Amino acid sequence: MTTLVDQLKQKVVETLNLVDIDAEDIDVNEQLIGGKLGIDSIDILELVMMIERDYAVKIDSKELGAKVFASLNALAEHIRQNSPETIN
Amino acid sequence: MTGIRVFIAGMGVITPAGRGVDRLQTLIENSDTALGMPNLFSISEDQLLPAGQIPDLFGNIQIPRTHQLALAAADEAMARLPGTIDAVIIGVTTGGILTTETHLKNGIHDPEKFLYHGAGTVAEYIAAKYCCKGPVITVSNACSSGTAAIKLAMEMLRCGPARRVLAGGADSLCRLTYYGFKSLQLIDPEGAHPFDKNRRGMSVGEAAAMLYLVADKNVPENAVAELLGGGLSCDAYHPTTPDPEGRGAVKAMKAAIHDAGITISDIDYINLHGTGTIDNDLCEAKAVKEVFKSDMPLLSSVKGALGHSLAASGAVEAVICALIVANGVIPANTGFCNADPAMDIEPLKNPVRVKVNAALSNSFGFGGNNASIIVGDCRKDRNVAPKSLAPLAVIGSACITGAGDMKKTLDRLVSGKNCKGLPGHVDISGLIQPSLVRRLKRLPRMAMALASSAFENSGCFEKPSSVFWGTGWGPLSETYDFLKKLYDSDEKFPSPTDFIGSVHNAPAGQTAMYFNAVGPNVTTTGGDYSFEQALFTASLMADDISDPLLVLGADEYHVHFSPLFDRSVAMERTRSDGGGAICLVKSQEQNKPIILPVFFGNADHDPDIVSFLAEKLGGNEIDNCFGAIFAGIPMAFRNRGEEQLKNFLKFTGCRCPIIDYRLLIGEFASASAVAVALASVFKRTGKIPGSLSGKTDGSLDKKGILVLGFGKFLTAIAIT
Repeated sequence: MTTLVDQLKQKVVETLNLVDIDAEDIDVNEQLIGGKLGIDSIDILELVMMIERDYAVKIDSKELGAKVFASLNALAEHIRQNSPETIN
Repeated sequence: MTGIRVFIAGMGVITPAGRGVDRLQTLIENSDTALGMPNLFSISEDQLLPAGQIPDLFGNIQIPRTHQLALAAADEAMARLPGTIDAVIIGVTTGGILTTETHLKNGIHDPEKFLYHGAGTVAEYIAAKYCCKGPVITVSNACSSGTAAIKLAMEMLRCGPARRVLAGGADSLCRLTYYGFKSLQLIDPEGAHPFDKNRRGMSVGEAAAMLYLVADKNVPENAVAELLGGGLSCDAYHPTTPDPEGRGAVKAMKAAIHDAGITISDIDYINLHGTGTIDNDLCEAKAVKEVFKSDMPLLSSVKGALGHSLAASGAVEAVICALIVANGVIPANTGFCNADPAMDIEPLKNPVRVKVNAALSNSFGFGGNNASIIVGDCRKDRNVAPKSLAPLAVIGSACITGAGDMKKTLDRLVSGKNCKGLPGHVDISGLIQPSLVRRLKRLPRMAMALASSAFENSGCFEKPSSVFWGTGWGPLSETYDFLKKLYDSDEKFPSPTDFIGSVHNAPAGQTAMYFNAVGPNVTTTGGDYSFEQALFTASLMADDISDPLLVLGADEYHVHFSPLFDRSVAMERTRSDGGGAICLVKSQEQNKPIILPVFFGNADHDPDIVSFLAEKLGGNEIDNCFGAIFAGIPMAFRNRGEEQLKNFLKFTGCRCPIIDYRLLIGEFASASAVAVALASVFKRTGKIPGSLSGKTDGSLDKKGILVLGFGKFLTAIAIT
């Protein structure tokens, strides 16, 4: 079974069409915005939609977004804590 | 020598305050807000956010709401005024999309129901109502469209091709913008309160506003106010976020002040763009402080009262500035209570009655597009510099067709084959780094590939600073995908990336970012004549531009939308798309072709248009000047276009080779951009391949090439 973090790596690459990034190479502790992945504020909004759709977790303010999208690990943790279902 | 002055002789508006200038004036004087919960289309309870909806409901469901709004404003502007208009220039972002959305939701796929979809059809509808025989131009510069349209109208009047122009902007509420801005988390759940410390975003609105503008050396009797100047710029920073330093906004304001021939101390009031989003207001505050320093005029944004009506907003605010200059009542910045310490500016909390000599109005939009105009009182003594339509030298060109890039296209044409078809991924993406275009779909990729190839082809060291982009239908893939995801998810999960990409000017903004082109950036749209509009616009603006200019046009084939919207595409069996680009400079370089748009007329309202065009081009002297004609006849206008061409040849006695280019490159709205790019190459080399001209040596004998457009409009571009 894939973990939430692995699932998220895959979804980030697919959702944002990160053509030259291999999902496995994403460092889970590295900052998401403005880091090596080349992710910006528009990408974050696209991820917000994906997370609400796939995990039923809302991220609806800039302040919250900055905290949640600090890294992939932080994102996974936020989803775990706020999802209506139990996710490992 | 004194130039032409531009006066506002009539005004009309329809806003959330109601129909007419009087209601707008009352709202301003009472400092009211017209924001409320919209009910134009069904919105679930948890998605409901305040918006600026126009209260009067319209009866005619055959005509989209934007068209009806535009006509209401035009009727008011034209009331009590005699005579006709020479041109219509309107800013529109979404055209008939509200109707399109409804049809798609209801599963209607009859092309007859989508005749008013195009953003360009709003201006055409107004031109038809007022029998306008001249150019009809639609500016689609996102939220700065209305202001940019007024600036263009000024240039058209100053340069002389028109004496009376109807200019303005119109946009209705629709799902695309309502859910689009919501997906960007840019909507304030409390309703917009611009510049307030606690602001959280904008409120989407709808409106239309029209100005009847006249050219005169002296103040005409019916003048309400004078348009003193305007300035356009581009941030070239980000598709949506404004440059945090406000550099583009500073540039637009300074250009407008320079254009008006006044100084900052002459400005008594600034109508701020002030959408209410955290970033916009912060950047605009920074920019006005940078320009005006300690000499700060009175300030307010009306978007807390009316919402943000996108393309219409700049036109509505131009009307407000004219009312201020005429009546002396400055509106409050509705909703502003607590100053934001991060900004250090104080917009008006209450309306103020004071004499205003000159008012500056700002509009900024996606794509980093900025526009500022200045409205002044009608004083007798004002000297303005004369202006003229500038001929431009073509220093580089590029095209994309079903065959591929320019080289592949030429090879295919020389071998006597056609270039119809859909270019592949490599051809539309050019040599641009994949990570730079990962978010871009078909149309913006084509635009960037064309722009970079035309620049490379020019061999010019200096990058273009201004971009003029024409597209018949805009980014169809992004628009379709946005609506599909919206509907598939019961209006819950639209894509913000698709929304940003769906605006017509997104490819122009991307191109500007690629070149760091911070000068004017204008997107025009109007079916088969969109590229011609862009070239015409470039010529009107060129007087103010010293660096190279880029003019380009492209359209994508979209499997669902293209046959629904474009009748010529629907009629052609081979699916085609592509576009063309030319890199231009103002100086008349030796051995470089000179390009000039010489004619743009509305064939629907002028039975004598063909003879007029023939006369304009020199009548039976035409064979002495031109060695070939590229004729663009969209398939939907085949019969009519062929008749027009036949008459043109009869009137001129012209016997030069005619290249009916749509038969060679296929049916797509900006096919003329390919024709111009090819013609520029042929003019530079001095000959046309025998397979096209029918002559063995194909020599042009140093003559020029005419690129003519037929059908609904008649257009002529001379390449000499």
